[in-house]
Amino acid sequence: MKKLFRFVVLVGLAVWAWRRLAGPSGPRARAGVSYADGSSIVLEPGSDGFERLASITHAALRS
Amino acid sequence: MDAAQALDELTELSSQIESAVVLGADGSVLAATHDDPARAAALASTALDLVGAAFGLNIQPQEVTRVEVELEEGAVFVLRENGRTIAATTGPDPTSGLVVYDLRTCLHGISEPETKKKRQKAPPANEGGE
Repeated sequence: MKKLFRFVVLVGLAVWAWRRLAGPSGPRARAGVSYADGSSIVLEPGSDGFERLASITHAALRS
Repeated sequence: MDAAQALDELTELSSQIESAVVLGADGSVLAATHDDPARAAALASTALDLVGAAFGLNIQPQEVTRVEVELEEGAVFVLRENGRTIAATTGPDPTSGLVVYDLRTCLHGISEPETKKKRQKAPPANEGGE
């Protein structure tokens, strides 16, 4: 029982460390648009749509 | 509640929102958190530009109801409902769902009096039933 408990704790620590080291860090960039018909799109950095929206947003955040 | 009161309430409730502006159906600024009209107009212009750009992204042109753009230096949110538009800026890494909820609540707060007036004008329901 003691060994099982130790094993579970070790696995938990390993998962936590992996997510901390390998997971995304810092603020992420993304954009999303929703439409009246209920549809929506998510734009990732690098796509034309994202870059268009990002260029407009950059100007607003700088002012 | 008018647009200025709704924005005051919004900035009190949400610690994430740095600036916000409410636009009428014609794109005019109804209220803004900025004291400087030029900065309010700039945010309004950004909101309309984002909506215009978002409109062009869909294959089948549809009315845009929400645009959110999150960048490293901050984020801009635009919501449209019942002809009104609200736009807000936040700092980096905002809680998107919470910001959108607060902005929607603000928009609903502005439109409430009109809804009440319409309800008052409606004829009374038949209490006798069948």
